Amino acid sequence: MRTTVVGSYPRVADSREGQRLRHAVAKWERRESSAAALRKVEVDVLQEVVREQASHGIDVVTDGGVTWYDPVSHFAAKLEGMEIGGLLRYFDTNTYYRQPRTRGRVRWLRAITVDDWMAASAASPVPVKAVLTGPYTLAAMSACPASKVADLQWDLAAAVGNEIDALVHAGAAHIQIDEPAFVLGKALPKGYDDLAREMLQGKGRAHTTLFVAFGGVGPFLPELLDLPFDALGLDLVQGKSTLDALRKVDTDKGIAFGLLDARSTRLEDPMAVAKVAYEFAGRVPLDRSQLCPSNGLEFLPRTRARDKLKVLVYAAKLVREATA
Amino acid sequence: MKRGLLTTTVGSFAKPEWLQRARNRHAAGKVTDDDLAALTRQATKEVIDLQEELGLDVFVHGEMERGDMVAYFAEVMPGMRPGELVRSYGNRYYHKPVIEGELEWATPLTLDSWKHAQSLTKKPVKGMLTGPYTMVEWSFDEHYGSRKEAVLAMAKVLHREAAALAHAGAKIIQVDEPAIHTRPGEDFDLAVKAMEVVVKGVDAEFHTHICYGDIPRIYPGLLRLPVRQIHLAFKNTNFELLKLFERVAFDRSKDLGLGVIDVHNHLVESPKEVREGIRKALKHVPPERLWIEPDCGLKTRTPQEVREKLRVMVAARDDIRRTARR
Repeated sequence: MRTTVVGSYPRVADSREGQRLRHAVAKWERRESSAAALRKVEVDVLQEVVREQASHGIDVVTDGGVTWYDPVSHFAAKLEGMEIGGLLRYFDTNTYYRQPRTRGRVRWLRAITVDDWMAASAASPVPVKAVLTGPYTLAAMSACPASKVADLQWDLAAAVGNEIDALVHAGAAHIQIDEPAFVLGKALPKGYDDLAREMLQGKGRAHTTLFVAFGGVGPFLPELLDLPFDALGLDLVQGKSTLDALRKVDTDKGIAFGLLDARSTRLEDPMAVAKVAYEFAGRVPLDRSQLCPSNGLEFLPRTRARDKLKVLVYAAKLVREATA
Repeated sequence: MKRGLLTTTVGSFAKPEWLQRARNRHAAGKVTDDDLAALTRQATKEVIDLQEELGLDVFVHGEMERGDMVAYFAEVMPGMRPGELVRSYGNRYYHKPVIEGELEWATPLTLDSWKHAQSLTKKPVKGMLTGPYTMVEWSFDEHYGSRKEAVLAMAKVLHREAAALAHAGAKIIQVDEPAIHTRPGEDFDLAVKAMEVVVKGVDAEFHTHICYGDIPRIYPGLLRLPVRQIHLAFKNTNFELLKLFERVAFDRSKDLGLGVIDVHNHLVESPKEVREGIRKALKHVPPERLWIEPDCGLKTRTPQEVREKLRVMVAARDDIRRTARR
């Protein structure tokens, strides 16, 4: 049982130094600094975030998404055929995203996340997982005529696939695709297995995880397990029904157990977390599974995110000891 | 106050740089409470003067004493404490409060600010509260453990505050609920019930402000809110949101607050686009029930942008009135 984070990580802390990215962005927005000056601070914070996760003992870290405006418009804004519109609530969180609108067929033009991944990897003593929002969610959160949604999903699958190729080419060995919009439905979206194959064509030997957060996917968990990803990540806090469904399956696929509540400051008891994960010994390959928060940690203050990492690492250690 | 395309704003104004600096120095212990209070009063006077100069109809005090619409209450409400920084969106962060005990109303939370602002003008100044659902949703709850229990406890506290404002003479009280569409299926009834608790028996005209969410999912349900005016961020959707009223007409017993200014864009709207927005809305709501406002609080903009955007808003409203009189 290893540990990972799901994607985002708090990009500011309360100290003045901890808010340097916030101040740098504000300065750049006021046109008082250059894009190069902003980038320098972004890389500095991104590398700090990576080192912070690693120093707490996380086995596979992320760049924390510290340069992303939000999980949707950051990627969509750089695609041909998309423009960015107004603010909308991001699932049931108290954060907002800018809604992309289609202007025609959507096409990938250039690598969008590779520079951040490379900067993160350069500073990390452990593997850095690249995290991308999946085509179904990108499409679901965009404004697009109903008759064009299927085309948009395919275009976005190709675009995300190109990004995966670019990441793999740069050396990424761990890639996570987030599809939180799955929780809005009662079944696996029709044709998603084809979209997934399209997207993963160029993944090579990279280890891929599909992660679903912000709700439950119990009713279609078996279908999710059949998708062509190497592992499945699950929010087992908001998705309590998922946990019940998971108790009924027997799989050889690695699971990322999202058992720590990434949206509450209350700290879990590591023993209780380990106990839930250990229940799956024999039915899930725990040696290829991971313990993680229920979703990105950026909904928490930085200090509490660190506390959660400590709980996570200790709980995973307890599971390893129990299964040794 | 004769009704008909009245102008007002949603609540916050941009803080002048000197006040922001003083607030930072106060946080570092380098400015006394009394000195900060004096500077806050001075900034409030400037906000009132600006609204007089621009010719707005119903004023706000500008929230110069508030770092954030939720965090401020955590500083003054028993049962809450200010938390650490958490991102809201883009490059906006707030000190997300923690509910750490039983929520209580011991003394007025906003009354002094309102009284001071109202003493500076003959125009009505709105009492400004953050609604119970939003207060809880945008805080970490380490005490109640049940959202329903926390929201209803918060509603009782805010009811006491609304009563205090009304007793002091506030004719209009705005209760903001921007989080009301967070869980439309699960929690909407709770949010409505909590609003009922806040307004019950309070002798004032209540307004609410809702923004940036899936409004179609809570419409027409949001008409159940026991308030006179519902304000929505229409400019954010380039007035597409008005199409909702083609499906179900807007309630004839309520006023509509029409957001016509994007508060997340440095660009100042043209009078023409504001006029077009107002004209589109007038197809659904008569002028006597339509209010002209920005989409949301103005603290995200610079003082200069605030001045220019509001000038355009008032000018566009004046143009529409002139055209209607011809």
